Amino acid sequence: MAGVEKFVEADNAEAIITRIEHKSRKIESLLKQNKPVEALKTALEGSPPMTRDERCKSANWIVVHRALMAIKDVDGMFSSLDPEYYDILMKYLYRGLSTGDRPTCDQCLRIHEKLTERAGLGCILRSLADTVNTV
Amino acid sequence: MANTLRLYLTCIRNTLEAAMCLQQNFPCQEVERHNKPEVELKTSPELLLNPVLICRNEAEKCLIETSINSLRISLKVKQADELENILTKKFLRFLSMRAEAFQVLRRKPVQGYDISFLITNYHCEEMQKQKLIDFIVQFMEDIDKEISELKMSVNTRGRLVATEFLKQFI
Repeated sequence: MAGVEKFVEADNAEAIITRIEHKSRKIESLLKQNKPVEALKTALEGSPPMTRDERCKSANWIVVHRALMAIKDVDGMFSSLDPEYYDILMKYLYRGLSTGDRPTCDQCLRIHEKLTERAGLGCILRSLADTVNTV
Repeated sequence: MANTLRLYLTCIRNTLEAAMCLQQNFPCQEVERHNKPEVELKTSPELLLNPVLICRNEAEKCLIETSINSLRISLKVKQADELENILTKKFLRFLSMRAEAFQVLRRKPVQGYDISFLITNYHCEEMQKQKLIDFIVQFMEDIDKEISELKMSVNTRGRLVATEFLKQFI
């Protein structure tokens, strides 16, 4: 059973990485059109669930990072972001906070405060407790 | 500058509030009649949650590790120069040696950090969760003030001693 999963993953890894590159091009174009919220939504959407491949996760993180740093208006972002994306955004925020890079951390801390106000402590707890779908 | 400190502390406070919800008495699975803090021993992966690292900048960070019956918080304090380095080490060592009095303090900091707290389910039963969190956040605020105070007093004393000593050569 585990063997089958690994085989499927190796195949999928390449497919996922191509999909992520595709996504990053779309996001670049959205950012040029000054639509950071849509860019973030696109970045969070295709997040590979259940991939244990570090490369896919890093690639996706780079894309999400790009979209996160472009956001200036945090409140406006939350008014247009659907609640289903809150959990995955929280996971990415913690990943950003662990990098230690000053501008990233500043931005992530700002968004974290607002997101906790919106989504509550349950969101944080889900990102802590979910050991299966890590980002 | 002060704003990032506020955001950093808010983030840590929220994460701690969420992490402390889970404390419950969970006897050891391997050895009967034993009750050990799982975050320290890490015997079974299903009892541990994702560790979370919150960095304010390159120098300051806070690692929060949770498990089913315990929670470990490790802090790295900002150290701008050699003097602050020594002062921080000595001061925090002083506190850690007296860990019994603090109850939630760990005697040795985790590798790579300056000071660590270990909060078990027993602490959460005896003490109020909000007060524990307030204590930790207050501790973080006060540490910075204490270290700058210590540094200033060392510099002042050094200056006074040097002035007095060199007066004899005038």
